[in-house]
Amino acid sequence: MTSSTLGRAARPPRPVLTFRQKVGRFDHRFSPYLYIAPFFILFALIGIFPIAYTLNVSLYDWHLLKGQGDFVGLDNYASVLGDPFFWNAFGNTVSIFLLSAIPQLVIATGIAALLDQTLRGRTFWRMSILLPYIVAPVAVAVIFLQIFNQYHGPIAGLLETLGLEPIRWAFDVLPSHIAIASMVNWRWTGYNALILLAAMQAIPRDVYESAALDGANKIRRFWSITVPMIRPTLIFVVITSTIGGLQIFTEPKLFDGRTNGGGDRQFQTIVLYLYELAFPRRDFGRASATAWILFLIIILAGLINFAISRAIRTADARPAALGRMGRFRRSGPGGQGSASGTGSKPAPLTVTGASVGAQQGES
Amino acid sequence: MTSSRSRIAASIAGAAALALIATGCSSSGEAAGGGDENITLSITTFGTMGVDANYEKYMEENPNITIEATNLEGGGAARDDAYAKIAAGTGLSDIVAIEEGWLGTIAEVSDSFVDLRDYGIEDAKDTWLEWKYDQGTDAEGRVIGAGLDIGPQGLCYRGDLFEAAGLPSERAEVAAYFGGEDATWDRFFEVGKEYVDASGKAFYHSPRFFWNSFVNQQEEGYYKKDGETLNIEGNDVLKAQFEKIVEAEQSGLGAGLPGWDVGPEAKEDKFAVYMCPSWMLGIVQGYYDEGTTDSGWDFADVLPGGAANWGGAFLGVSESSEHKEEAAKLALWLAAPEQQAASFELAGPFPSTVEGQELVADTTSAFFNEAPVGEIFAARSEGVIAQVKGPEDSNIQDNVFGPVFDRVSQGEITSGDEAWDEALVLLDQLVG
Repeated sequence: MTSSTLGRAARPPRPVLTFRQKVGRFDHRFSPYLYIAPFFILFALIGIFPIAYTLNVSLYDWHLLKGQGDFVGLDNYASVLGDPFFWNAFGNTVSIFLLSAIPQLVIATGIAALLDQTLRGRTFWRMSILLPYIVAPVAVAVIFLQIFNQYHGPIAGLLETLGLEPIRWAFDVLPSHIAIASMVNWRWTGYNALILLAAMQAIPRDVYESAALDGANKIRRFWSITVPMIRPTLIFVVITSTIGGLQIFTEPKLFDGRTNGGGDRQFQTIVLYLYELAFPRRDFGRASATAWILFLIIILAGLINFAISRAIRTADARPAALGRMGRFRRSGPGGQGSASGTGSKPAPLTVTGASVGAQQGES
Repeated sequence: MTSSRSRIAASIAGAAALALIATGCSSSGEAAGGGDENITLSITTFGTMGVDANYEKYMEENPNITIEATNLEGGGAARDDAYAKIAAGTGLSDIVAIEEGWLGTIAEVSDSFVDLRDYGIEDAKDTWLEWKYDQGTDAEGRVIGAGLDIGPQGLCYRGDLFEAAGLPSERAEVAAYFGGEDATWDRFFEVGKEYVDASGKAFYHSPRFFWNSFVNQQEEGYYKKDGETLNIEGNDVLKAQFEKIVEAEQSGLGAGLPGWDVGPEAKEDKFAVYMCPSWMLGIVQGYYDEGTTDSGWDFADVLPGGAANWGGAFLGVSESSEHKEEAAKLALWLAAPEQQAASFELAGPFPSTVEGQELVADTTSAFFNEAPVGEIFAARSEGVIAQVKGPEDSNIQDNVFGPVFDRVSQGEITSGDEAWDEALVLLDQLVG
């Protein structure tokens, strides 16, 4: 007793632990890290490592087959940024992105609003709009290739019946972009509609009821309640479609499988440009530089999105913003309800050789 | 010097890039070894090579061998696939079909493929045309490809459409009408003009193939003989022909169609001739239903500007194969005269062995109006030699001249001079 009291007063003696105790302590301290380790190890392997490795490759003169050459610093970046084909690809990517993202958001919101009504066979309708999403992109491309065939497609037939000039879908810039954007829209609209629907479902029904009592009609309720309350989810959808849209590959690649984005690069996107550099032209260094440039562009786009969404949120925080509906804000904007439902979207976040390979794999 | 390091690095890079290019042609996991144990050999081919005509027979004769075949749609896909797998250092099939246009690039990393001399290709050396055998040999003398087919060219034409336009339609007469042995490109465009004037339809689908044939006819094509120096800027011969093609486009000879995949348009009679190296016969035939004999297509023993080779493939055995011995045996067997003949019967690629050519001398094609294709290709391959291809040959073909011809076809460029300058700008951006 005494000795232990003394010991405590002076300096706690290092307790002699049994093996079991040691294991127990170790377990207590480090096990949590072990439990979360698999994710981080995987992420390091398939996320961080390729990104860092791509950066390394991009600083060398690197031939696909012959391997590493001389260190060239930022020369690869300079030559990509000075290449008119890169800017052509950049323009095409932005154009296809805008042509797909804007109609997609509008239509998805509309569909979600319709599905938010009381319908017979709700689950059936909801599952149906998800169908295009589960169809393989290659199959979608095959079908759309028929539709957008300049000579034999149904659209060509319709134009002919109307006595109009045929549209050269695979030759002209804008028509090809529209065709590709429609493939993207076909695939993603339903998916986004479901996410938005989840957000709408999270809006408390009594908000609508009190608005209805106050004499707001359906349209007014949609614009004054639904839209503001799903705004965080809308922003989420915008961000994920920006990330996906800037990396578009499968659709334009399959739109003309023999070329990398059209005989005259009419619809060559940045990733297709990257692919052309890496494989047919075997310049892995410049391809990696392109990957990094794209990575930075996406980060930039993400930051802009983030800034906009923060500005909106700040504006929303003003209590007057929603007038008498303000009291419901406590229950949280719809976006939170949907967060778990949306987390599973396989948004490829990294722009590296790995994601190119992944997309190639799909085709 | 840093070969092992860069190799590892390249493998990692490639592995990262290709983790998901799963084409299902993994080589078998069994241990290497001869004897009677069961072995699976993978082979990757492309287009309509007809090699598949022989697989069953080999498996019957060698019951312990299973052939796992993958056929890719086109040469471009096969090229990208092979490059990617070489870069990854893994994933190549045991046997890989290599196209002439990118064989030069493969030869730069020729240690990805075994030296077939170690497996006895020299014993059969004399069976091949000499230039074909030499093409498959790299700078150090290693033989990395066993020659399959060569691409002597004749003219596919629509007898029915020719007749309707008042032109001769019987194949000997057609050949003579174009000038027979002395056929020139000028005459070709003249006949084309006659056809367009008489029928109101386009003569050919796209000028691309005809330009390609012309380039292949030259002693030096896009590259000088050293295979390194570009031979385009200031090349008056190429430029003169280029301008003639642009002019022909203005006269409506071209249908403004893409280079490939024009089956529906063929059926709608949108064009009447097609440039046909041997392996193209299978492609034209593929535009129609199997067994079609009334398509109107015929095949004439004539090529404007004289004999030239276009394309042709080789079989290589990858160094990463676990069954090199067995794979080499199969590759050499597939490239032997008898099997080349069987491939020709099935799909049209003309044998690169003398004996193979003799075996098919009497072959006729039901699709091409019973044309004696064996005899015609034998005649068309006389005097053919292979042109030296440079590392960017197919890139120049596809991405420099291709797009410019498309712009001309679409009426976006109207003068030959302007189109040529445009091509030079593209060339400078892509290769310069």
